[in-house]
Amino acid sequence: MKDDYLWDGSGSPDPEVQRLESLLAQFRHADGPLVLPENLPIALEGAPSFPRSLRKGWAVLWLPRLAAAAVVLLALGVSVFFYLRHTGTLHAGPGWNVANLEGTTQIGSQTISGSLAISKLLVGQTLTTNSSSRASLSEFDLGEIRIDPNSRVRLLQTDSNHKRIQLDVGTIHAYIWAPAGQFVVDTPSATAVDLGCRYTLNVAPDGSGTIRTTLGWVGFHLNGRDSFIPAGAMCSTRPKIGPGTPYFEDASESFRDALHIFDLTEQSTDAGSKALNTVLSQARPRDGLTLWHLLSRTTGAERAQVYARLAALVPPPRGVTRDGILALDPHMLDLYWNTLGLCDISVWRFWEQSSQPHDSSSPQSLSKKQVLLKQAP
Amino acid sequence: MAALFELHSSRSGFPAVSLPLDSGSPDDALVRAAQHGDRSAFGLLYGRYARIVHGILLSRVPHPDVDDLVQDVFLQALPRLHSLREVSKFPGWLAAIARNRATDFHRRAKLHEVLDEESAPAETDQPSPSLRPSAHPAAEARAVLDAIRSLPDAYRETLVLRLVEGMTGPEIAMRTGLTHGSVRVNLHRGIQQLREILGRKASPLTGGGL
Repeated sequence: MKDDYLWDGSGSPDPEVQRLESLLAQFRHADGPLVLPENLPIALEGAPSFPRSLRKGWAVLWLPRLAAAAVVLLALGVSVFFYLRHTGTLHAGPGWNVANLEGTTQIGSQTISGSLAISKLLVGQTLTTNSSSRASLSEFDLGEIRIDPNSRVRLLQTDSNHKRIQLDVGTIHAYIWAPAGQFVVDTPSATAVDLGCRYTLNVAPDGSGTIRTTLGWVGFHLNGRDSFIPAGAMCSTRPKIGPGTPYFEDASESFRDALHIFDLTEQSTDAGSKALNTVLSQARPRDGLTLWHLLSRTTGAERAQVYARLAALVPPPRGVTRDGILALDPHMLDLYWNTLGLCDISVWRFWEQSSQPHDSSSPQSLSKKQVLLKQAP
Repeated sequence: MAALFELHSSRSGFPAVSLPLDSGSPDDALVRAAQHGDRSAFGLLYGRYARIVHGILLSRVPHPDVDDLVQDVFLQALPRLHSLREVSKFPGWLAAIARNRATDFHRRAKLHEVLDEESAPAETDQPSPSLRPSAHPAAEARAVLDAIRSLPDAYRETLVLRLVEGMTGPEIAMRTGLTHGSVRVNLHRGIQQLREILGRKASPLTGGGL
């Protein structure tokens, strides 16, 4: 419907609206930083609107004062420049802002301490927190990543479309507003792809990890093994094995324990089968999240068993057949996933198609609009 | 200007306040942090809301003045942020400041002079706006923008956000505090009225219009 295109860019593109968009794009807001007077206090009512005032006749009154202020600030700026150069906090090249939140944080060989300390993490540099320090990474078009004590983070890449870090050990709390698919975290046992907004990722010294999503969703993958973790769910990962099966944190304890056992045991063992039975019997409709993932992690009779339980809890959508699912038909699996109402898997598929992890090709960020357009017939 | 600095790269003079990651919406967390003096958080809010403020202003004031006014709006918002009791109302609050700033602009800046200045080229080289390719796209774009500005407030604002700023309906709703239903109605009725206006203005030679 054409109204859908006007509403959110989905549906058949409306050529009239497209023409207007194209024509009017020249007036669009050009991204740029906000500049504020350094001494503007937050608790002051009625901030002056001097940029226009200057042009409209106040220049005579204000220019001498501003000139004097500029001289003072110039002197201050020169002093700060030399101070920063002396302390090693002035760097060139792409990087992210670092704020030391607590204790002493190490960036390469540089140490920053004090709650007001700021610095920059450049591509290739490693940030390390000790047992009593915390830090924060931020970037205007990325978001904020808080780094807990005993963590080690390396900045691998940052540009307008790609932001990639490596978390060797420790815990990060990511709060991302870059477009879906732009922010990626490599860990020793899986790669986390931000597809939403907010999550916590922990990596233990042995390389195993857990991810807990609180807003949006995150893709976790290693060597073709994928897990999708929507808000309220979590997932663990182990070196050489990759992501485990995700589950909602409000699932019963016996469900979670059984799933853990199932993930750790070889296929078709008695312990594994028993654990699977417990998972299936305890599953709620909401746990379709877990059962959907189990379809591709079981074989033969066990897969049929998982399908039967999933179909009972969440009826398959039109176009999905039992035989297709048991054969792991990718299209049917995607249709079934979208029926769970958790998130649109086409976002992930789009990211998969446009990126090759760890190589130089460009993982493209994608907007919801792009995904919807891609789906349109 | 030496007295200015880039918000997103400095926290000087203010304590570093970590964002509360575990409560409310992402914007709420940023608003709270900004209320506590975190200028970086305010800079991030600027990143999220500059487009909406730009669109609101563009629907009301001449294009050449909009960028300055966007800065003005955030300059006004920052010192007043502490007075915002319900952080979830930040989108509507900021939009109101932008609308008031536009009103203030017209009151102060001698509206007629400014508009005459901006619309002067239209008399000489501005073709009738149409959705067909034009030999004068810049002038035609100005004419279309003027047509949008002639619509009622709610329609012109929503249309500018959709057609100029490239935001979707759900984004507009989220960033302005309007309901989905209101935005959808504004878009639908606004585009209808725009079609009518452009249809009337189209030259008989081009047979144009929407």
